[in-house]
Amino acid sequence: MSNALWLAVLASAIGTLLLRLVPLLWMRRRLRQHDGENGSEALPQWLGILGPLMIAALFGVSLVPRHPDALSWLATLIGVAATLITWRFTRSLGWPIAAGVTAFGAVVILAGLV
Amino acid sequence: MSQQAASLRPWLIGLREAIPLLGGYVPVAVSFGLISVQAGFSPWEAVAVSTLIYAGASQFLFVGMVAGGAPLWLVIAMTLLINLRHVVYGPNLAPWLTASRWWPWLMHGLTDQVFALAHHRLPQLPEAQRLGWFTGAALLAWASWIAGTALGAVAGNWLMARWPLLGEIMPFALPALFLVLVVPRFTSWRWSLALGSSILVALLCTLAGYTNLGIPFAAACGALCFYLVKADTARAGGDDE
Repeated sequence: MSNALWLAVLASAIGTLLLRLVPLLWMRRRLRQHDGENGSEALPQWLGILGPLMIAALFGVSLVPRHPDALSWLATLIGVAATLITWRFTRSLGWPIAAGVTAFGAVVILAGLV
Repeated sequence: MSQQAASLRPWLIGLREAIPLLGGYVPVAVSFGLISVQAGFSPWEAVAVSTLIYAGASQFLFVGMVAGGAPLWLVIAMTLLINLRHVVYGPNLAPWLTASRWWPWLMHGLTDQVFALAHHRLPQLPEAQRLGWFTGAALLAWASWIAGTALGAVAGNWLMARWPLLGEIMPFALPALFLVLVVPRFTSWRWSLALGSSILVALLCTLAGYTNLGIPFAAACGALCFYLVKADTARAGGDDE
């Protein structure tokens, strides 16, 4: 990796840390100014809305298969269904992901055998 | 001795509660390690990217753009654009953070998944346990991401030769993870419409080839829906919160 590429890694790393850190420092200052007010009330509404919507957008982007043919879409659909059903029963983070990946993989493997 | 065990407890609770995150982290990290090596990075370089940048989706973009010969300023700009969503996480946690000076450094570990977990757990914990809990959870997640990258970079080719479909199957951990983070937010028609439109717009943007710009654009469309529904229900004299 060239020196220029190392610099690009460092710039991306520092930039990412600042994206996570600076808004926190700003909010802590805002909370000190609103001393006595409930913390979640001092949070601007648009901030509380954007968080889940960004994750929803990431989900939409990640849904598209690498090779978007009919089989991949079917595997994606079944993987999503398995994830949802497992989440419905466990309400956890780990098991639904394992179930989704297993179901997705099962469709891909079975289709390869047929 | 018992005092030492008591002081370790928040760390251990954080570690234990972050274990489910590994199901999403490790497969994606292994994929990243493998893809990095295939893109021309050495295993050490792939591990360095995971250690320093530590932001899943943007790392894939980073190595992909570098391998494609994109200008480095554009690589940095796009990486930061993808990570721009993180600006909403710190402020959302701020009400629950204590006065410790360690919090700013711990923000390196504030990924999508750690945020979701912390947003749920920090309000439930006593103040004295929050720093230890977050440190344990964030460190486990970070370590698993680095270890997964190393595994993918070193043994990824062997894994692919032995199980050729693995590279096709494992990346599904990413949509499954985001789905699990999003689903609990479908609490009303208003939220469902906003989240559903974000998902749909992002999917369409990706199919059209505008993946990176599609993320903030889709979130903006979702926010627009959210406020339009509010305006509509306000005119009708009701509220759908």
